[in-house]
Amino acid sequence: MLTLGPLGFAAPWVLTALIALPVLWLLLRAVPPAPREVTFPGTALLAGLPDPAPITRRTPWWLLALRMAAIAALILGLAGPVWKPAPLATATGPLLVVMDAGWQAAPGWTAARARALAVLEQAAADARPAALLLADGQAGRGETLPFQPAAEQAARLRGTEPQAWETRYPPDPSAALAEAPEGFATLWLSDGLDHPGRAEWLAALSARGPVSVVPQSAPVRSLQIEPGAAPALTMRSTADAPWPAVLAIGPDPQGIPRTLARLTAPEGAPASGETTLPIDLPSELRNRVTRFAIEGEASAGAIVLADDRVRRPKVALAGDVRSTEGQALLSPLHYLRQALAQRSDLIEGTLAEVIPAAPDVIILSDEILEPDDSALPEWVSDGGLLIRFAGPRMAGSDLLDLDPLLPVRLRPGGRDVGGALSWGEPRTIQPFGPVGPFAGLTAPDDVTVRAQLMAEPDPELTARTIAALSDGTPLVTREELGQGQVVMFHSSASADWSSLPISGLFVEMLGRLVQSAGRGAARDETPQTTDDEPFWTAELVLDGFGRPADPAEIAPVAAEDLTAGPAPGAPVGIYAAGQRRIALNAGGELPPAGAPAAWPGARVEQAATQPGLSLRGWLVALAAALLAIDAAASAALAGRRGGGMAKGVLA
Amino acid sequence: MNAASPLAASQLRARAEAAAAALPALLLSAERLAAALQPGAHGLRRPGVGEDFWQYRPAAPGDTMRQIDWRRSARSDATFVREQELETAHSAIIWVSAGQGMDWTGDRSRPTKRARAELLAMALTLVLLRGGEKVGVSGRPPQAGRAQADRIAHDLLAQEPAPGDADLPGTGDLRPLRRMILIGDFLTDPAPVAGYLRTAASQGIAGALLQVLDPVEEAFPFSGAVRFRSAAGGLRHETRNADALRDAYLDRLAAQREALERAASAAGWRFGTHDTGSAPGQALLWLHGALAG
Repeated sequence: MLTLGPLGFAAPWVLTALIALPVLWLLLRAVPPAPREVTFPGTALLAGLPDPAPITRRTPWWLLALRMAAIAALILGLAGPVWKPAPLATATGPLLVVMDAGWQAAPGWTAARARALAVLEQAAADARPAALLLADGQAGRGETLPFQPAAEQAARLRGTEPQAWETRYPPDPSAALAEAPEGFATLWLSDGLDHPGRAEWLAALSARGPVSVVPQSAPVRSLQIEPGAAPALTMRSTADAPWPAVLAIGPDPQGIPRTLARLTAPEGAPASGETTLPIDLPSELRNRVTRFAIEGEASAGAIVLADDRVRRPKVALAGDVRSTEGQALLSPLHYLRQALAQRSDLIEGTLAEVIPAAPDVIILSDEILEPDDSALPEWVSDGGLLIRFAGPRMAGSDLLDLDPLLPVRLRPGGRDVGGALSWGEPRTIQPFGPVGPFAGLTAPDDVTVRAQLMAEPDPELTARTIAALSDGTPLVTREELGQGQVVMFHSSASADWSSLPISGLFVEMLGRLVQSAGRGAARDETPQTTDDEPFWTAELVLDGFGRPADPAEIAPVAAEDLTAGPAPGAPVGIYAAGQRRIALNAGGELPPAGAPAAWPGARVEQAATQPGLSLRGWLVALAAALLAIDAAASAALAGRRGGGMAKGVLA
Repeated sequence: MNAASPLAASQLRARAEAAAAALPALLLSAERLAAALQPGAHGLRRPGVGEDFWQYRPAAPGDTMRQIDWRRSARSDATFVREQELETAHSAIIWVSAGQGMDWTGDRSRPTKRARAELLAMALTLVLLRGGEKVGVSGRPPQAGRAQADRIAHDLLAQEPAPGDADLPGTGDLRPLRRMILIGDFLTDPAPVAGYLRTAASQGIAGALLQVLDPVEEAFPFSGAVRFRSAAGGLRHETRNADALRDAYLDRLAAQREALERAASAAGWRFGTHDTGSAPGQALLWLHGALAG
């Protein structure tokens, strides 16, 4: 940079073009004005007339001066003038540039990289060695930071982008700096947030030379999903700014991704910190959502990829019209309704009515299916979950053999235990096994079963039983059918056969079953390693800006690594193992606004302090304005010369 | 804006009627013709088919009974035949140049030369029709009657522009006893015009030549560097000092007019000029006089 008094030039060699100005002056003076084109029928009479001594009409001096000024302003503007340029890194000696490169750095990445590039180019011009530490969790692992010519580091920096995980520093500063020169200056382009190891690095760097810190000026926002029966989004921000909207993005009926809904922060939400947005969408819409994104925010943390946790299953309670007339507490549907209303969308009606609504689950209580009915078996084979409950009607029917959708063959008549005419006590429920949909639930002792439908002995009976009574007889059996499954409760859904429907266990069991509808049993919130699926494969990954990246480059990830959140090798994305899919999202806790990370011992440059006032735009605009004036003046001159006659030229 | 917006035929006629209203009906001066070709409104001062009384003559063998004027015959012993004066019509052909230079005006407040020429042609047509003459545009048969005015107005407006700057009527219109009226700008080479006039004169056809020019063409108010282009684009002339060309141009224009004048008088025609800046009545008066003389 060439500095003349308070004025600096970024590209001083452009100023040599000013030499051409006097030549341009002579040229512009000598060139005669372009002839006017005139249509004139008398041209025939002019043919062959010799042109008398031509008069070169000189451009007026003030017009020439105007053009000269415009060109001079353009040349000066292109030379990159800066008013009172801030001395960029006046220190001599080696230079270390530290860049936070997690998703938190994405909003201000362009500015930070431009700043780092400027400093590195300056260092290259001064022939200072430089090192570049990208805090992306990949650099500096077990190796020392190389100090190389600054131009090489600048070239390296140009290709870098923020990563889709948190900013991570190499674990051991002293090891990384082992081969560094004695003293060096440090420029730290921080994302403004605290990360593990930052204090150690700051101390280590401060001990070796001056440290300048440039915190990110753009606010960092993150989005997180709170799973549960009614999932909600939590948005966090480091800025005291109005909350932006959250876009729910998913395929439209043509399969083209588009914004399905805009969620806005509730009225009266605090201006900073965090706010919660309920996902208040119709279930048809919500089940199509593939991602939530903060509007206008380009970072992986501002995106929540939706997995099955966001979907709310649609459950149909079918059949039994009589229940509308009976007492509510005696209706088997009453307990099902109570158990499911919180976590699913319920529809009710006859089978013929509910199947076209494409529910995820259909529950039948004490119904015997027609053997030749094909709609329900088709729906089950297409991935539906059919849950059936036994009851007096099934017990009394002699058509059980013909029912097409039973997991096991049932013995007609049923079984009474603990009644007045039977031996034995009512049976309790056997503890649930470690595998199966009910794994982890505990059966209270006071849940007893007094009557059940017995299964015929069968070699597959044990495999199909997922819950049993204390005497080993099946309570719940399951059979896969096509892509779907049929689950049979061998007891009733009302309280007259067992106390299960009035226990909390009933709610949890139904919840587990309903959650497993559709995509199998993959609704666990944390991935679990199973023996057959030890690794999760990336189906979709995002880069640090939240843009889709190539998932083929990601090696399969072990389940324990996924539970720790996004990390090098496991970026934000959707991972699948077998039938299970989970989303790995980055957004998480952020420090409250006004409490940025502290930088003891370092010089913090506020992003607001500009490195000098660039005059380039102003000068180029001035040149454009002068040229516009010149065009207007030339037009006016031409008009005056032509006089009134010019108006007559109508060709 | 080359031409004023085209006039509808009815508009042209209405304006022409207004221009012609002040003129007395024009009868072409009688030029006795050897053979009467067609009956018309001209008294030819000899007996023939007509409306006006000419003379009584004694009946001669060959006269039919119906021809005998019995009232005159009753006053004497001889029988007389009443004869009418022979009448015939002159026919005039009006030609308006369709050269592309005609569709031009130097100032949008003035009509184009062609518009002015059409107006003059139409006014003259009306005057002649009112006098009972047979009038037609070049290339069409001349006819008499008020209805012919509409046809002529239509023909004038329907005329296609000529491909070049110059235009001349075809010699097919040249018939004995016709009058020709040529209206144009005649800015190109006068030699073809002179040749046409010689051909016409050899058939005993008289007529008038009216040069319609724009004031810009007569004054040449250009200055500075100008690239001139003829209306059809065929001719170009570039100068860097148009001011100095003015005298030479005006000299050439005068020479052009002189050449046309010479050619016209040699053929027994009349040559006149008209500029679109002046009132059309003057030119109409001149045309009237040229045909009457």
